[in-house]
Amino acid sequence: MIRLQNVRKRYPGAETDVLCGIDLTIDSHDFVSLVGRSGSGKTTLLNVIGGLDRAFEGEVRVAGHDLQALRDAEISDFRNLTVGFVFQAYHLLDHLTCRENVALAALFTRGESRRDASLVRSRADELLDAVGLQGAGARSPSTLSGGERQRIAIARALFNRPQILLCDEPTGNLDTETGREVVDLLSVLHREREMTIVAATHDEGIATAGVRVLHMRDGLLEVGDGSER
Amino acid sequence: MIGRGWVRTVMKDLVRHWKHFAAAAVGIVLGVAALTFFLALSLQVRDLLLVQIFPADHLEVVPKSADINLFVLRLDLGRDTLDAAVLKDLAALDGVDAVYPKMRLTVPAVASGGSSIFGAGMQTEIVADGIDPQLVAEELKDAFHDVDTGSRGTPCSRGAQCGEDAYCDRAGGSGEGVCRPFVPVLVSPYVVELYNGAFRRAYNLPKLNPDALVGLTFEMTFGASTFRPAARAPIRERMRFVGVSDRAIPLGVTLPLGNVRHLNLVLDSPDAGERYHSAVIELRSKDAAPGVIDAVEAMGLEIRDRGARRAALAMAVIMVVLAIVGFVLIAVAAAHIMHVFYLVVMVRRREIGLLRAVGARRSDIRRLLMSEAAVVGIAAGLVGVAAGIAAGAIADVLAASRLPDFPFKPESFFDFSPWLLASVVALAVVACVLGALPPAIRAASGDPSEALAGR
Repeated sequence: MIRLQNVRKRYPGAETDVLCGIDLTIDSHDFVSLVGRSGSGKTTLLNVIGGLDRAFEGEVRVAGHDLQALRDAEISDFRNLTVGFVFQAYHLLDHLTCRENVALAALFTRGESRRDASLVRSRADELLDAVGLQGAGARSPSTLSGGERQRIAIARALFNRPQILLCDEPTGNLDTETGREVVDLLSVLHREREMTIVAATHDEGIATAGVRVLHMRDGLLEVGDGSER
Repeated sequence: MIGRGWVRTVMKDLVRHWKHFAAAAVGIVLGVAALTFFLALSLQVRDLLLVQIFPADHLEVVPKSADINLFVLRLDLGRDTLDAAVLKDLAALDGVDAVYPKMRLTVPAVASGGSSIFGAGMQTEIVADGIDPQLVAEELKDAFHDVDTGSRGTPCSRGAQCGEDAYCDRAGGSGEGVCRPFVPVLVSPYVVELYNGAFRRAYNLPKLNPDALVGLTFEMTFGASTFRPAARAPIRERMRFVGVSDRAIPLGVTLPLGNVRHLNLVLDSPDAGERYHSAVIELRSKDAAPGVIDAVEAMGLEIRDRGARRAALAMAVIMVVLAIVGFVLIAVAAAHIMHVFYLVVMVRRREIGLLRAVGARRSDIRRLLMSEAAVVGIAAGLVGVAAGIAAGAIADVLAASRLPDFPFKPESFFDFSPWLLASVVALAVVACVLGALPPAIRAASGDPSEALAGR
């Protein structure tokens, strides 16, 4: 599903690489936890896998796509259909309703069926139900708690039924109890929807929820229970 | 990507950042209002000049001159007459309703008479031309028409026997004569003005009332001159003033076309009776003037300028200057729009990164921002047009109450035609979209991760 070979990246102006030659293979339906301190390269690695950052060296293949070779329209469609992102800061748009936030990806999905307003609405409501926020569709995200906002963000990531869910510190802004609820939700998604999930975290709760735990330090993956380095 | 959801997103973005967009739109509103006001004013004044003051529904076509000065002489190397074929071509032009040829008298003529006004008979060399009576039919009815001077009239011994339109011509001065028709003549208002303003003062003559000239008779001898001996036997005719008309030759007298043609044929040559020196074109509508002028010039002919063209040119220059002022205002406003959109893009950097993360293409981001700019342009354009119309209404009220009455004073000084308003709104939209283009391109560039990180 995901294969990285000798991936390197250095930010402009930086003296050292943030990714120092990563080799990584993640199979379908894996739940991988990327654990490491801030600055270890976790977020950058997720961005590379999700096609949010293409200024790197090496080869990245995700769901059969060579991300370096894709043109803008193709990588955009990849982000739209193949991967879903959950961010630490939620990145919800407060001027839209919860339902519109959940259905945000539909704005950029090509194809007639995706433009059907009733289908988009019912899909968004279905996802709001799935994350336990039924009835919140017409509300503004700004009226919700942190945990609820992150659930909306997870629902948004699932809208187009992506194969891969990439979560960057999904509980980083939540208290322990709320964070646990979010972790449970991710576990359910992994179990029931057989999604491939990669979650960057320094939350032990998430780390233990993952089937595989990968440790990152200074741009390198340390050996956990897999074959990666 | 296009649909109700997209429109809703655009409108919500606009509402969310309304203060930014309102600030951006102020310049566009002012520019559009100024442009609307100035162009509507120019259009109305232009219409006033070309329709009422310098009517442009008739054009006089003349052969194109190609004069070359050679010492004291000016050589005319161009064609100086129009023939029947040219008249036919003119009549076939799109927008032309009728063509009225004009012919100059090509032989000298001497006018004499006037003792009833001046106290003593006067005699002067005079130039003449002939026009189609139809050209003045509306203003003079049938008073001006061709007359048959060639056929022999009925015998008479005094004028009363010949009716109102003829006189008893007793060539020998006494005894039996024949009835001959008066030849109707017109003079231009310029002739009367010249006489009353200058000529009468030099010769201590009475001032003339143009209306009272109607019915005055005098004699003209065609083919005779005080400068050179006549080549052929002169023809003497009795003339009668029938009116004053703008269509008459500016200096001289104007006869019916048929009579001038006959005189040229008999006294000059057969060709002289077939060559016209100009033609008056009657346009189907005033709007047809530009197209007809172009077509006439393409035929190698010229339009005789009587002020309308100068007025039109002056108005065109004024319109261009005012339009440039408006365009500059809108261009400055577009630059302002650009700066505001750079600010908006910076504020919305993470949001744009998120849109890219969920699948927006670069073109989607550009389209989103330019859609917002277009809506700003439409709104600003409509408000600007409304402001321009309101300013025009205020100006009209002030003009009605403060300006004294003057000839051709219009009820409104503004022509807010629908096409003008639509064009100005379209211009506002184009200015906003162009202004937003560079920020939109910048917003769409770069990786989403940078935007999400706020870099």
